[in-house]
Amino acid sequence: MFASSWLILLFPLLGFIGLSWYGNRISRKLVGFVGCGTVGASFFMTLVTLSNLLFLQPEERVGQVQTLYQWISAGSFKLNLAILVDPLSVFMFLIVTGVGFVIHVYSVGYMHDDPEYSRFFAYLNLFIFSMLVLVAAADFFFLIVGWALVGLASYLLIGFWREKASAVLAARKAFVMNVIGDVGMVIAALVIFETFGTLSFVDVFASAPDQFRPNDDAMLLITMLLLVGAFAKSAQLPLHTWLPDAMEGPTPVSALIHAATMVTAGVYLIARCHVLYELAPYTMYFIAGVGIITAIFAGSMAMVQYDIKRVIAYSTMSQLGYMFLAMGIGVYSLGMFHLMTHAFFKALLFMAAGSVIHSLDGEQDLRKMGGLQKVMPLTHATFLIGALALAGFPLTSGYFSKEAIILSSYHAEMGNIVFWAIAVLTAGMTAFYIFRVYLFTFFGKLRSPEAHPHESPMIMVAPLLVLAALALLGGVLGPWVDSFLAPVFGHVAHPHDNALETIALIAGIGGIATAGLLYMVSKQRLDLFKEALAPLYDLLLHKYYVDEIYDYLIVRPTKAIGAFLEQKAEREGVDFTVDQVGLQIKEVSHVISLWQSGKVRSYALNMIVGVVTILMFVVFM
Amino acid sequence: MGQEFVLLVSASIFCVGAAGFMIRKNPLIMFMSVELMLNSVNFLLIAYSSFLNSLDGQIFALFIMTVAAAEVVVGLAIILTIFRTRHDMDVDHIDTLKG
Repeated sequence: MFASSWLILLFPLLGFIGLSWYGNRISRKLVGFVGCGTVGASFFMTLVTLSNLLFLQPEERVGQVQTLYQWISAGSFKLNLAILVDPLSVFMFLIVTGVGFVIHVYSVGYMHDDPEYSRFFAYLNLFIFSMLVLVAAADFFFLIVGWALVGLASYLLIGFWREKASAVLAARKAFVMNVIGDVGMVIAALVIFETFGTLSFVDVFASAPDQFRPNDDAMLLITMLLLVGAFAKSAQLPLHTWLPDAMEGPTPVSALIHAATMVTAGVYLIARCHVLYELAPYTMYFIAGVGIITAIFAGSMAMVQYDIKRVIAYSTMSQLGYMFLAMGIGVYSLGMFHLMTHAFFKALLFMAAGSVIHSLDGEQDLRKMGGLQKVMPLTHATFLIGALALAGFPLTSGYFSKEAIILSSYHAEMGNIVFWAIAVLTAGMTAFYIFRVYLFTFFGKLRSPEAHPHESPMIMVAPLLVLAALALLGGVLGPWVDSFLAPVFGHVAHPHDNALETIALIAGIGGIATAGLLYMVSKQRLDLFKEALAPLYDLLLHKYYVDEIYDYLIVRPTKAIGAFLEQKAEREGVDFTVDQVGLQIKEVSHVISLWQSGKVRSYALNMIVGVVTILMFVVFM
Repeated sequence: MGQEFVLLVSASIFCVGAAGFMIRKNPLIMFMSVELMLNSVNFLLIAYSSFLNSLDGQIFALFIMTVAAAEVVVGLAIILTIFRTRHDMDVDHIDTLKG
């Protein structure tokens, strides 16, 4: 039934290989066509798979493993090249290929003048392929393969402008952080194999509830190790520092990888392994706690940053925090719903920001923007829709998904008032910082006189419009997402609480109003405000000094240990020993070589004495 | 002629050769000493060939003479070359291979 689902993965792979080999020999137009076409074909196949899935009864939709062939068979260990087709993976396919396709089309316009156009599209296709491998994996092995490939694609794309030193450094940072997560994942997979004797999702999840009781040590260990990977990939505290730096990559990359798809892999992982997580309630609390702390932590940093992409990057971290909160309190389908709406409006915001940056010739500093409302009407309108959705303005998609999570953070079984309060506070901050960006960018006067802003070409605006429509109307999909994912997660209770909903709504609108008051009315008031809160402002502007703390706690001690080891262990230990072995052998052989006098007659004497000795020995002994 | 006599003559010629090789410094004299040693052995081989009624010893002696002749040819050539380059025939001075 799902035999053709393999094609979803195949198309982007072919695109990657084709563009890598022939990219420089074919015309730019064809490169763009291949790049977008493969992802589009993949999206089409996803729709086919989706319709096949919808033909089945809901309870038959889970656990459909499609095996291509048996790859490894060693004793009891078997590894199949297989994909898992169930509502969760198809849901992720839809987001990855759908949003991915739109962003590919946008990239055709955005990267139009880049000399390495085909390399960019090859990498983008590689990324889509890797992400699909990650999502389609039917066992932990291919999950990790996809996980690592995605990290590689992210590294290549962040460092795409390879002659820019800061981009290369950012790429390296992202890669190192992601590898920390990969290590956690690999150890987790080994522990799972040790515990269950298999790596297949279906088998592990089937046997786990019978084999373990909640909060057994093995479950806590496995879930926490998996969490290391999830936190690193999804930029949760304390492994978050790479995400803001990743904005050095081209803007479509930020939109695709660092907002819509890759960073949600951690959320997907928890959703996929929710059977294990439910057996480890302590880990669930930990996830919810880290999620909500990341949400407010990132949200507060976003309020003072001046780089337009950085603000949106911190916002991504903050929204991912919400998703982790949803996972932690066990409302998985709400988390996945927010993942979807977030993919729509965050990709939209990034691409609208990219459109602004494009028209200002690469300017990313908010202080040099302004007044673009008239020059770029379409970008302005779409950005506004994205901002409203992010702020959770009523009836936009963000409203439905975020409000539901906030409400569940109190009403769900594992929710409590602290989670709710911080979530509401963060919602207020979210509204504030995104409208701060909005007002800075589109209102007032243009603050860089030499720039000549213009509306972006149609190929960039059209994707914006598509995503704007989704961001605006995506909320109606909520009940469908819930029932579609129900075979995997079971149904979620939807509490209704008018008082709490109203408070959350007021927080959001209050944030928008505060931004308006501060940035629209008068400059002096803003300065007064800044002065009053100077220490806090400083702390936020320096991102809580996390990079500096890491520098002091990890980088410098590591370097000091390295220097110490180089001097003591390398020079005075290993090198000294090796040198001494050589020198001593030389000394000894020098003494022995005195015997070799070079005089024929003494050799003859030695020889005769030797022969005589041997003869004596033979004759008399 | 008894076997003791043959052995004694052969051993004393060999000892003269060996002593000469070690004592003299002139390479030509040393070569002659080597020949003495070889011939003492030849003498023994031939004598025993007749004692034991076997031709093996004589054939062996022929081989030794051939090898000795060849060795002298090469050796003399080397000595000649050394003399041409160094104008010195003292073997104790030729110690380039000293360790």
